[in-house]
Amino acid sequence: MSVRAVILRAAALLLLVAFVTAPQLFAFAFAPLTANNAPAIYNQGSLLALTLSHLRIVALATLASTVLAVALGIFVTRPKGREFLPLSRSLVNIGQTFPPIAVLAIAVPLVGFGEKPTFIALFLYGLLPIFENTLAGLTGVSPRTLEAAKGMGMNARQRLWQVELPLALPVILAGIRLSVIISLGTATIGSTVAAKGLGEVIIAGLQSNNVAFILQGGLVVALLAVLIHDGLGLVERAAARRLGRPLDGTA
Amino acid sequence: MIEIEHLSKRYGDNIVVDDVSFTIGEGEIAVVVGTSGAGKSTLLRMINRLVAPSAGRVLIDGQDTTTIPEDELRHRIGYVIQGYGLFPHRTVAENIATVPRLLGWDKKRIATRVEELLDLFQLDPGEFARKFPHQLSGGQQQRVGVARALAAKPALLLMDEPFGSLDPVIRGKAQDDLLAIQRRLGTTIVLVTHDMNEAFHLGDRIAVMDQARLLQYAKPADLLTHPAEAFVEQLVGTAERPFRLLSLMTVQDAMEPGHADGEPITVSATLRDALAQLIWRGRPVLPVADASGAPIGRISVDGILKHGRPLA
Ligand SMILES: Nc1ncnc2c1ncn2[C@@H]1O[C@H](COP(=O)(O)OP(=O)(O)OP(=O)(O)O)[C@@H](O)[C@H]1O
Ligand SMILES: [Mg+2]
Repeated sequence: MSVRAVILRAAALLLLVAFVTAPQLFAFAFAPLTANNAPAIYNQGSLLALTLSHLRIVALATLASTVLAVALGIFVTRPKGREFLPLSRSLVNIGQTFPPIAVLAIAVPLVGFGEKPTFIALFLYGLLPIFENTLAGLTGVSPRTLEAAKGMGMNARQRLWQVELPLALPVILAGIRLSVIISLGTATIGSTVAAKGLGEVIIAGLQSNNVAFILQGGLVVALLAVLIHDGLGLVERAAARRLGRPLDGTA
Repeated sequence: MIEIEHLSKRYGDNIVVDDVSFTIGEGEIAVVVGTSGAGKSTLLRMINRLVAPSAGRVLIDGQDTTTIPEDELRHRIGYVIQGYGLFPHRTVAENIATVPRLLGWDKKRIATRVEELLDLFQLDPGEFARKFPHQLSGGQQQRVGVARALAAKPALLLMDEPFGSLDPVIRGKAQDDLLAIQRRLGTTIVLVTHDMNEAFHLGDRIAVMDQARLLQYAKPADLLTHPAEAFVEQLVGTAERPFRLLSLMTVQDAMEPGHADGEPITVSATLRDALAQLIWRGRPVLPVADASGAPIGRISVDGILKHGRPLA
């Protein structure tokens, strides 16, 4: 990583932390966007608390998506589960194509307002990238490597844990990263069903016609996305390196 | 001892190994040759049960392999494939330690064994133990592949075109190294190759396969002098035959009593090498010396040529 990239990242992180902990410091920048003496900085709650609960629900939903998608990906690449591949693929695809806002509309009558319907929407929405990448990672392991593993007397479980999963890990991590980024943005709609999150800031701005609020909500989500995308990218690279090859090398 | 009894494999209507039987003695190298698609790999992979036979059986030291659990059987049989199949996410040392780890050896014993093997294959442990496969040359990967297969001291080693992707110089060296190691450890080896030179260089016996059938299983010299079918004759190369035959014998076999002038040839050289010397030096006869350099007889072009054809 170049020095410039490090500085840029550090600056973004610093900006984010400063903004969510002491937003009033930035009032001067947002004041020109307001009219009629409306507040320049979001004043209906703590930005920090909203950011944390936003992150929390994204983390929980991604964790759940990861567990299910990876497990499903492993299952359908085993001889016993192969026949379920088309079915699983369609189901996961539906999860992705069904609009999250529609999921919310269906889920609220069933589980009530709050975090639950948001969690369900994000969970469903996040499955596809992780599932597809798990498949790609597992099926991408060279047949020769697998033949060697089998020929040396590794049983199916040992082949999975000692050979297939380690080799697929960087690709699976890339899927998780994609899913996290999508969820970070999508989670803002959770505020329409009263889940605590950064969507509240945006919605407050829309309701009171305050561009400064909308921009603040968007800005925090965007900074989070950039930093998390980057951070997870570093983790992937570290994993790939530990697996004995540079990320740009031939797998 | 490995006994292969009436082994067959069919995929649907397609028979790829057809009633093959032969026996490999303790500490011998059996080389399987034949055209592409003849069923060589399938035959080899039925020995460690990577492929389930349709009929027939394999006995190792009298024990039917189907009575041994699959994984346990494979722990006892070394396996080397073309391209070596090294684990790209594991270091050289970890690759070599694969089977010992599966067998639950303790750490110290594994470390000692890995070091021993790296030494045996002339890979400096300090330099190579922690490298990953992609950081090695083809020849080094090949050696790691064989070292890995030998890690748990198997009595039997299966090799499927183990030298296939090496250049001729490295390949020759790898073959010599394998022979030296095999003589030292007494490992029984079944090796598949396309390369007839390799087969004659390494094989105590050679199995010739064509279209799923075993045409002949014999000592290299017998294959040359008594080919069972026209296909065998063609495969060993009609024009190559005298030279292959000479390369299977040593100066000892054609030495005459008497004296000759000039730089001596050692008694352990092959007749083919001796003939090459005589031709190159323009001499009809040269002295023969034993390992210590003492003269013990002489060797002549005529004497060598007589050995380059079947004895009448
Ligand atoms: N799993 C399989 N299903 C169907 N046919 C197979 C299978 N494995 C091998 N065959 C067929 O069996 C035949 C023999 O294959 P095998 O790999 O044993 O040949 P080979 O002698 O090793 O050839 P090569 O020298 O090219 O490696 C081939 O025609 C191949 O297509
Ligand atoms: Mg083959």
